[in-house]
Amino acid sequence: MVEINPEKIELDEEMARRNLDKSSVSVLEEIKYEGRVWKDLSKKYGVDNPDPPWKVTLEATCDVLSEVACALPALERRWEEDELSEDHYADVPFPERQLLALAHSMIRRDLIDEDELKAKMKEVDKRLNMV
Amino acid sequence: MSKNHKAAPMVDEVSEFEILELAVRELAIEKGLFTAEDHQQWTEYMHTLGPLPAARLVAKAWLDPEYKKLCVKDGVKASLEVGIDWVNQMPTKFGTPSDYCNLRVLEDTPKLKHVVVCTLCSCYPRPILGQSPEWYRTPNYRRRLVRWPRQVLAEFGLQLPEDVEVRVEDSNQKSRFIVLPVRPEGTEGWSEDQLTEIVTRDCLIGVAMPKPGKTANDVRHIRPAVNPYGH
Amino acid sequence: MSKPNYDLEHHVKKATGIGDPQCFKDEAGEAKFKVGDKVRVKDLPDVFYTRTQAYTRGATAIVAELVYESPPAEDEAWDNCDNPEWFYSLIFRQKDLWPEYPDTFAGDTLETELPERWLESA
Repeated sequence: MVEINPEKIELDEEMARRNLDKSSVSVLEEIKYEGRVWKDLSKKYGVDNPDPPWKVTLEATCDVLSEVACALPALERRWEEDELSEDHYADVPFPERQLLALAHSMIRRDLIDEDELKAKMKEVDKRLNMV
Repeated sequence: MSKNHKAAPMVDEVSEFEILELAVRELAIEKGLFTAEDHQQWTEYMHTLGPLPAARLVAKAWLDPEYKKLCVKDGVKASLEVGIDWVNQMPTKFGTPSDYCNLRVLEDTPKLKHVVVCTLCSCYPRPILGQSPEWYRTPNYRRRLVRWPRQVLAEFGLQLPEDVEVRVEDSNQKSRFIVLPVRPEGTEGWSEDQLTEIVTRDCLIGVAMPKPGKTANDVRHIRPAVNPYGH
Repeated sequence: MSKPNYDLEHHVKKATGIGDPQCFKDEAGEAKFKVGDKVRVKDLPDVFYTRTQAYTRGATAIVAELVYESPPAEDEAWDNCDNPEWFYSLIFRQKDLWPEYPDTFAGDTLETELPERWLESA
């Protein structure tokens, strides 16, 4: 029997080989600290639904990016999500964590850039909060 | 009769996360990564997904030995009988991305217990079971279940005797799996609907066993945050 | 390492209405192994898109089923669908995978699928 090195079993090894940029993304860090998570919002308003309404649209975005756009393959996105969930976004609940990881992966790949994202968020905020 | 019924509560504020999700999506559309129509189509499809068809497949298999044989031999064909078409129902018409079209139904026996995991990324039989729960996606589950299955199952409240073979199914390629658990005692004479009710999502993943009266998944506490944000 | 170049068009034409992996049926030729054969997982050089888990390398297993034909993930990721192979469902004894797996549960197993190129007779 070939001796199996327990260290080899860690998924970390597969990810370490990929030389990912480990730096944080400032706009995402801000959201991480200041964002209101569904766990708290649903409690505050007495809403039973365990998931925020945008969870399904987030999942759809992940799928179409992988299979329709071929821009961010599911396997890579998941591995990065695992890695980001262990450092930058360790204490963020799910699915907020998945959303931050997705945005982070897209920025890393230059699919979107930070400044554009900041500007778009401002625009969306204004639109959603118009009374 | 009183007309005073309360409207269902709603979250009345827009969170930064809601804004981020929409911003990412709109930017992606503006850049031509995908169209709004593609996204809409996928979202609509995903809204249709849930665990009931898989639960019904199990209930039917318990009631009909010939259907059970079909489930084990050809999961895709068996899925058609509970209204799930792995090939044609999906927006792509050749299977959903990352779900493919090869459902394998794993038949438990009194001496064999299956439990499913995807160590590589958390593949899951979404077309027949809906979206995976958070705990299924965590490295914690994925890394530990293959190596310490009985410890992880014990954390789910499931302890199995020594003479039962625990078989971990690592879903690493194109097949997707659901577990067909052993029909529990105390369900004699039950209808398909009654049986369907006790086959929870956790039973179909393999971390729980169906019991009369138990119709919900247990809440699984993921390790709590040491310094939770937003508090 | 440059990014894989997906050719969705090709796959769409081939798999629409048929399904994946069904669309590769009968393309792999004769299977090298049959149900009941004892095989060993080769420790081939690692490629980024491999789906052969590190923990299986060097371990022996029994072939439980010939599940389908398909290009292996390593090829498919680079849009190479030219060489579909037979995929096998393999059953490993947990005691053969993990050094500390208790004897009390020596009957426990792990099942996973691997394409033919990763396997040799044992």
